[in-house]
Amino acid sequence: MSDQSSNGHTSNTDPTPQPGAASDEAKADRRKVLKLMGAAGAGLTAPGFGATYLRGFEYTRSVQAQGNSPVKVGFIEDESGNLSVYGIQKLHAAQLAVKEINEGKTLKGGPDIGAGGLGALGNVAKNPPTISKDGVSLGVVNDGGDKSTEVVFDEDADVFIDSGDKGILGREVSLVSLDGQSNNALWQQLARRLIQQDKVDVLVAGFASAEREAIRPIVDQFKQLYFYTNQYEGGVADANTFCTGPVCEQQVIPVVQYIVEKFGPRGYTLAADYNFGQLTAAWTKAFAPLVGGQIIAEEFVPLSVSEFSQVIARVQQAKPDWVMTLLVGQNQQNYYPQAAAAGLKFPMASTVNMAQGYEHKRFKPPSLANMHNAIQYQLEVPTARNRAFVKRWMAMFPEDQYIGEMAQNTYFTIHLYAKAARLAGTTDQATLKKALELGWSIEAPEGSVFLEPGTHHCAHYIRLAVCDENHDVKFVRDWPSIQAWWLQRLGVNLVRHPEYKQYTPDEDPYFKMFLKKS
Amino acid sequence: MDSFATIVSVIYQFATNGAFLLLSAVGLIVILGMMNIINLAHGVLMMMGAYTASIAWHRNVPFWLCVILAFIVVGIFGAVLERAIVRRFYGRELGALVVTWGISLILSQGALAVFGPFLPAIPIPGGSVAVGQYSFSVYWLSIIALCGVLIAGLWALYNHTTIGLQARAAMQNAAMAKALGVNTDRIYMLTFSLGAGLAGLSGALFAPTVSIAPFMGQQFVAPAFITVVVGGAANVITGAIGSSVLLSLVKTPIGFVFGAFVGTVALLFAALIIIRLMPDGISAVLQRHIDRRNRFA
Repeated sequence: MSDQSSNGHTSNTDPTPQPGAASDEAKADRRKVLKLMGAAGAGLTAPGFGATYLRGFEYTRSVQAQGNSPVKVGFIEDESGNLSVYGIQKLHAAQLAVKEINEGKTLKGGPDIGAGGLGALGNVAKNPPTISKDGVSLGVVNDGGDKSTEVVFDEDADVFIDSGDKGILGREVSLVSLDGQSNNALWQQLARRLIQQDKVDVLVAGFASAEREAIRPIVDQFKQLYFYTNQYEGGVADANTFCTGPVCEQQVIPVVQYIVEKFGPRGYTLAADYNFGQLTAAWTKAFAPLVGGQIIAEEFVPLSVSEFSQVIARVQQAKPDWVMTLLVGQNQQNYYPQAAAAGLKFPMASTVNMAQGYEHKRFKPPSLANMHNAIQYQLEVPTARNRAFVKRWMAMFPEDQYIGEMAQNTYFTIHLYAKAARLAGTTDQATLKKALELGWSIEAPEGSVFLEPGTHHCAHYIRLAVCDENHDVKFVRDWPSIQAWWLQRLGVNLVRHPEYKQYTPDEDPYFKMFLKKS
Repeated sequence: MDSFATIVSVIYQFATNGAFLLLSAVGLIVILGMMNIINLAHGVLMMMGAYTASIAWHRNVPFWLCVILAFIVVGIFGAVLERAIVRRFYGRELGALVVTWGISLILSQGALAVFGPFLPAIPIPGGSVAVGQYSFSVYWLSIIALCGVLIAGLWALYNHTTIGLQARAAMQNAAMAKALGVNTDRIYMLTFSLGAGLAGLSGALFAPTVSIAPFMGQQFVAPAFITVVVGGAANVITGAIGSSVLLSLVKTPIGFVFGAFVGTVALLFAALIIIRLMPDGISAVLQRHIDRRNRFA
């Protein structure tokens, strides 16, 4: 599906299918498509025909009759309990986004009908980053003259612009926010309350995958428009759910590739024992061989565990070249200071730690020294637009210590929702789901994000962040756009074939093939 | 050298597992063993210890003083709790269970309301020592040593002081002790206060290794109760040592070979089997053994 642009880096997906792909799909599904087209009249369900989309919206605009009641953004995050270290950041992100929307501000971006994400990418990287073999000394400076980042950036600060609207379609946006208390059963009650009692226009919720899977059946029962803004293990194919965080294929492969090149092939996985940890570990194990690595041992740690001396001894005994840490929650984060106190010095890789729980700011150096994470966002991202974002945030929440990956996702997601509602001219949920399937780019603080219509997942700007022994963060490699391609390979297209499930690596024959090799 | 290092590492793991269990349980064991109060507020008392330590540490109080402070603050709080609430439930085990649970809910939610979802961490004091490919945390080594000191102190308190004698008398037969002029009310208050203080002390000692949050105590409650139940109430100190050693003997090798999760499962199975075989706990069996030997001697 992806184009290779002339200057060398990967582009965003063009929502228009390639000629070959289109004809294959058409052959397979002609009958169903014809039926859908007949039913929808305006042809809203058929992708790839830009004009029909717009005609559909003219129609919905005319039925706009929603009064002046506030637009309700339903929001659940963990403001207390084991996961509160992430939940509070996400709450503040939502509050900031809602405030900005009500003040008539928005982020640049729009649907890329016919043009793909190419133009959007051009805003970020005017010269493609050249990546050397070891990825450390690119010998370039950013325009601030700061050599420590070692990556080329085009400073593009003015992505924060006027929306020409106060709130959404002149209606004030109100955030209805509840505390999930890191308790899955409570999450279900709260989701029901927001959907049935508060009748929210959009639901933005979910940290742990277990929380998401707890509320997704309720979301589907009521066909609630739902954004899951977390980084996660991937595989959710749900017509009501839009996943705006990065997934395994966007993070695991880049970070494992880098760390194998730099430190050697043998990795030891230490993961949280629930769906996220298990599945991300499966990804790591399956894809390490593709980049010359090998997972020599895996250990899954229950979320309640905070005492790691035995785990540390096992890692020391295995003597790996690096350790993949996929630890979640305030209990498990104590692995880092304990490992450092026990003298463990193996290089570490992760897709979650540091960028989310800011362990490098909360624990004494050098607990996180030599941590590598292929992040999509963390506070230190050295671009002008991010510095402007951090400044806006800190003006509103001067006490905050950190802005993590998920907080940024929540922020741009709510802005994206507002933009889609403005284009559609309504907050009607069914229409908005179609509007979000136009192929949107939005200029988030991380860079350009592209919401791929078929899978409801985002292409992200990925950077390899490395933490040094003083807990300063360096960015040593850039991937301006990595797609969430796995669901595409499995043939998921929610626009044509709505479904409501989560795929796991077991359902992909490729995984078994790789596992046999290793 | 390599095998020597592995042996040292296994001994270290064994000792840390044992120290973890012992320290989790020590406050609970004093209260349950001496007063027969099932104190479900145990985890919250540990949380208060950690909170005291964190607040003091971030005001530049040295860490050892933070630990002592935690013992004193939570001990005083325990005395107040006993006077105000717990003493009304003596002899009503289920009532005491429910009331201490209620106290724990109020205190943990109260901590959340007052201090927010977490307090800043305390860095782990001390560095590490290396043996072969393994290296060990100096802090955990000191905790292991401290456990020994703590047990010796408790043993001396109960066996070599008047208060200890009176406490044991009150435990065996409260009415008779009272008749002989022992102020059992005061003994109960002191015992509860000591148990609470020890919970606070353990909470402060664990504080650098865990996240300091309102519900942090929960993670210690299960291991604490398992240790106490396996240990039994016939003799508080032998029970505590016996059960933490035995449980650690099960958990350590299995955890080392099969991973921490399987190790925890093994610990639960071991507890199940021990309670089935020795319903009154290890201490009852040990006590019987000691009594029999004394009789023949």
